[in-house]
Amino acid sequence: MLWTARLYRRCLGVRLRAAMEEPGDFWLMVASALTTQVVGIVFLWAIFRAIPQINGWRFWDIVLIYSLVVVTEGLSVLVAQGAWQLAMTVNLGELDAVLVRPYPAVLQVLASAIGINGLGNLLLGCLLLGNAIARVDVHWSPGLILLAVGLLAGATLTKIGLNLATNCAAFWLKSPFSAFAFSMHTLGELARFPITIYGVGVRIVLSVFLPYAFMSFFPATTVLHRGAPVWAGLLTPVVGIYSVAVGTWLFRRGLSRYESSGH
Amino acid sequence: MQHSSKPLIVAKQLTKVFRRPDRRPGLTGAARHLFERRYAERVAVDRLDLVVEEGEALAYVGPNGAGKSTTIKMMTGILVPTSGEIRVNGIVPHRDRVENARRIGVVFGQRTQLWWDIPVRDSLELLRDMHGVEQCRYDRTLERLDAVLELAPLLPVTARRLSLGQRMRADLAAALLHEPPLVYLDEPTIGLDIEVKDRIRAFVKEIVAEGTTVVLTTHDLGDIEDICRRIVIVDDGRMAFDGALAQVKDAYARDRCMRLELAAPPASLEALSASLPAASVAPGDHDREVTVTFDRFQLSATQVLSTVMRYGELLDVHIDEPAIEHVVRLVYAGQLSAGQSHDGPVEAAA
Amino acid sequence: MTAQAAPVQDWPDRRDFSQPRPRGALWRAYLAMGRAHLRTVIAYRTSFLFGLLASTFGSFAMLYLWRAVLSHGHRANGFDWPHLRTYLLVTYFAGSLVSSYNDYRMAGRIQRGDIALDLVRPADFQRSRFAETMGVVCFEVVVGVIVVTLGALAFGGLTLPPSPASAALATVSLVLVVPLRFGLVYISGLATFWTQNYVGVQAARIALVTLFSGTMVPFAFLPGWLATTCTLLPFAGMAATPALVFSGAVQGARAVEAVAVQLAWAVGMWWGARLCWQAASRRLTVHGG
Repeated sequence: MLWTARLYRRCLGVRLRAAMEEPGDFWLMVASALTTQVVGIVFLWAIFRAIPQINGWRFWDIVLIYSLVVVTEGLSVLVAQGAWQLAMTVNLGELDAVLVRPYPAVLQVLASAIGINGLGNLLLGCLLLGNAIARVDVHWSPGLILLAVGLLAGATLTKIGLNLATNCAAFWLKSPFSAFAFSMHTLGELARFPITIYGVGVRIVLSVFLPYAFMSFFPATTVLHRGAPVWAGLLTPVVGIYSVAVGTWLFRRGLSRYESSGH
Repeated sequence: MQHSSKPLIVAKQLTKVFRRPDRRPGLTGAARHLFERRYAERVAVDRLDLVVEEGEALAYVGPNGAGKSTTIKMMTGILVPTSGEIRVNGIVPHRDRVENARRIGVVFGQRTQLWWDIPVRDSLELLRDMHGVEQCRYDRTLERLDAVLELAPLLPVTARRLSLGQRMRADLAAALLHEPPLVYLDEPTIGLDIEVKDRIRAFVKEIVAEGTTVVLTTHDLGDIEDICRRIVIVDDGRMAFDGALAQVKDAYARDRCMRLELAAPPASLEALSASLPAASVAPGDHDREVTVTFDRFQLSATQVLSTVMRYGELLDVHIDEPAIEHVVRLVYAGQLSAGQSHDGPVEAAA
Repeated sequence: MTAQAAPVQDWPDRRDFSQPRPRGALWRAYLAMGRAHLRTVIAYRTSFLFGLLASTFGSFAMLYLWRAVLSHGHRANGFDWPHLRTYLLVTYFAGSLVSSYNDYRMAGRIQRGDIALDLVRPADFQRSRFAETMGVVCFEVVVGVIVVTLGALAFGGLTLPPSPASAALATVSLVLVVPLRFGLVYISGLATFWTQNYVGVQAARIALVTLFSGTMVPFAFLPGWLATTCTLLPFAGMAATPALVFSGAVQGARAVEAVAVQLAWAVGMWWGARLCWQAASRRLTVHGG
């Protein structure tokens, strides 16, 4: 188990070193992520200049939810970006090299890339999260802090699991682009805002079928003690583990369908 | 074959320098590299002087990284030279790219000219319109290309679905349909089977005979022997050799190697060796075979044959002709520079 | 095999390269390039449509959010829900033209070195890419209209321009979006000559353009200095201008003025792109040999 983890870290380390070789690209990715997230916050701020609250949610409440998406995205992109390469790898038949190594294929795939934009996301996300935590109407007892950390871990697992699961479409779609997974990812972006603003159908999809809401909304509502029943947020770690399990299962099913390309 | 001595491609002190980031090993080195960057310069082409005349068939040869592809790309206007001058037909390629492109045909072995998702016919017609070739002229050229390259079955096929050999034939057609007076062939026979290779070589020989100037870049030395009269060898960005193919072979590929199979093992190899002092005699693959390596200007094959026959009955003979491969290998191994001459058999490099 | 041909200099009808090419043929070539590119997109339509779906989800989020903001007949900065809804649908439509597929493909060709092929063809690089873009735009317009119709149905309707003059101006404005966005996408694609990593460039561009083009939030919601700056930048013409004219938020002389700025930037971007190309082509490094 420890060996598995250490080897995973080594694989990531290789990618990190490769990423650092092109400093222009490195800083570009960081800056690009920062830009994207800052633009989102500017958008929120612009809206709240005109109105005091949306559906009962105040500015910092929404920032809390928003920042959770940014932080979990940052973490997921730093440690499990490889899922996004899957479509290209399968299309080019390069999975062969992965399959002859004595290490779980799914872990190799996940560690096959590192997203430096994750650093930008993490930086801004933590900044936003810190500010939001300070400003929301919550009494931070040690128990609550511990719970919050656990929920954050669960939220990150949810994101990683859903990333993996949606990218497994590559085994069925035979295209070098991960367009399907990307469209599902943007669906997940809807979780940046409290899902109470959406229609019932969308809320069900985001809570049950593609539980992106557990990345941000439900952990936030548990901590804020409003907007949704508290037990919903407590499910987050369960949903996280479940997402990763589904992703891994889909990966194995996909692998059995894999035929390497003829060259 | 005669060609006019009008210079078509003129390169003077042509230089291309690439800047590469200087990478340091280790994780700390990589992290430092993020904050302060150092660059190393790589000189891909170093003050090249070259003149190609109209109607020539030139082989442009060199090991990987020697700068031959870079030179071709400067001639075709893809890359901008760092310093020096290049003119093709009086035009500066990277400045008047479109005008230059009208007058050349290019085949890149590794990439295709064709549009990937449409039939070959559509790609060719698109190029026809781009070049502004009149319809009747186009029809006539296509008919001729079809006769030689057997294009007809390829025309309705989407480029994506072509095999490598089919794609090369289609690419040749694409490069020639506007009747360019100058053609660049960069690895045109790579990965092809022998039948297609022969067909393409024959066709290129034909257009050379009609006066088209051809610059051929290749690792396949069979291509060179078949098509070209002149060979330029570059190494490390610099010109290592420039001369007529025949002269090169006469100067540096003088060895002929005969493998003689006898009815019974020769009684004494030393005696045979002594009677052929100008040659080097060695045992062959099995005990009845003898290899004789000799300078073909000092000994003739008949002389060797008659000498060996004195030592036993001859069953079979193989003669390996001097190949340009030999010379190129010497250049690659750094054992050769222009102006060197050798006496006696040249020892082949390992 | 053919008989030995006469040497080239004796051919009576050797092609005369000193004559310029016939215009008609060149236009046919550009048209054919547009068609070829359209066929490629249709061949990869699944990926293309999923990409479109992705931006559609983004717009959905905006629509839902703004509906929550402007619920119960509220107004903010001069907008009520029906008009903001129209505004958002039009900015979505404008943003779906000349999509990221175009520069992503160009960046890929530069990275792989396939651009070498484009450079040995006797066709202007920028005009060729524009021709290709126009081919795809046909597809994007059709899909865009379908999605906007569905969106209008899902969210309760689309208000039409208040007058025939506005409608005409809105149409002109929408047409101008294409060369404007092409200029931006093309210039951003050229960034590949400087950096290997195009994804970062593209993401940053999309974020900045989304903000400065007024796609997510109308300029009226931004602080005064920012709003004024935005109206002067080229990005306003990529979404905000047609949306404001179409929804009637801007009418009459002010609308004409806005469209004129759009036109000026469309021309400016085209020439700016040509300058960028000069710089970019010098940086080209094609691998191999």
